[in-house]
Amino acid sequence: MALVQDGDAQAFEVVFDRHADAAFSLAYRMCGRRNAAEDVVQEAFLSLWRSGARYDRTRGSVRSWVLSVVRNRAIDLFRREVVHNSRDVSDDGLAERVASAADTADEVQRRADAAQVRSALEDLPTDQRQVIELAYFGGFTHSQIADVLELPAGTVKGRMRLGLGKLRVALGDPSGAML
Amino acid sequence: MTDDDLTTGRPECGEDVAAYALGALDATEAVAFERHLESCAACRDELLAFRHVVHALPMSAPEHSASPELRRRVLRAVADEPRRTAAGAPAAHRRSRLQRRLMPRPAAALATVAAGAVLAVVVVAVVLLSSSSPPATRVNDAQVTGHGTAQLRVTGGHGELTLQRFSPPPAGEIYEVWLKRGTAPPSPTTALFSVTADGTGDVVVPGNLRGVSLVMVTPEPAGGTRVPTHPAVLSASLT
Repeated sequence: MALVQDGDAQAFEVVFDRHADAAFSLAYRMCGRRNAAEDVVQEAFLSLWRSGARYDRTRGSVRSWVLSVVRNRAIDLFRREVVHNSRDVSDDGLAERVASAADTADEVQRRADAAQVRSALEDLPTDQRQVIELAYFGGFTHSQIADVLELPAGTVKGRMRLGLGKLRVALGDPSGAML
Repeated sequence: MTDDDLTTGRPECGEDVAAYALGALDATEAVAFERHLESCAACRDELLAFRHVVHALPMSAPEHSASPELRRRVLRAVADEPRRTAAGAPAAHRRSRLQRRLMPRPAAALATVAAGAVLAVVVVAVVLLSSSSPPATRVNDAQVTGHGTAQLRVTGGHGELTLQRFSPPPAGEIYEVWLKRGTAPPSPTTALFSVTADGTGDVVVPGNLRGVSLVMVTPEPAGGTRVPTHPAVLSASLT
């Protein structure tokens, strides 16, 4: 990362190769369209490059840092598009699922972690998973979600809290059991 | 009654933690909750734990591979756009050229948000443009009330804000650029952005700045707002 901070394009290329799939996966999950997802990823990486971004390891992993930029760029796109439709993810056959590229220990671990997160999310009651996904991947506020689902706002927030609490326990924070 | 209730006397405070961590509170609620956080250790602890969970959520997305074409586009753009050096060579017009060439569709709109950045503070920059504004780039230091520095570059009626060392914005919020004309209330723009982890950001100000007396940037909830909900912490005047 130090080389990227110094403007080393080759180092940036390494960072891109390491995180592009995760970035695209998140963007595609949020946008539901390949073209939009690619635009989001491109803008995210270019913004990191242009701004001379200096990674602060005390604030989390490089991947978390990259993904936070991707999510913000996707939400920016939603704001611009105004219409919040056609954002359900549908596999249009164009995006290639990642095959079996688990050729490094890090990648193996990453895939295991991803599977754990996916499993934990899938294990949530549907109503809790739904509000979490609408908020995080859809960029909707709790009141917007309440309107769509025709629920009291307090119910939506309550489901969010219950859901995150269960994920917290499932992902290894036992203190979450106290929620 | 929960621990939160005992700490704050507000039975609903714990309920807001998850929505806040997910960026799902509206502007007013987020401001109120941040105020509440200052005095509620239980909510702060719970928020910290929830943030770890929220950071893991992207991993649940079905895995797809970025296309070779996307890789080529990004790396070609990087090669065409050597990054700003420590001396801070301007990149505004370079970016505009790249945006036109490399990011046609939605990205053209995204590009107005500008490069860089994720997290920060409110930015306000004042711009007074007369009809005789010269085409040359004018650079104005912004006045900052918080951490960091900012400059406003104006070229031919188009502006770009460059931010450095700004603090991250509150969780779930994003920066929104506003334009003020005369005594009229600030009008929102489509520029919603953040700053990078080190507080850097480059933001293209949408539209032509002729007639605009003030460019403001405020932290707003994830969807942006029609009316600023936070005071400005930075301003830059051309006069």
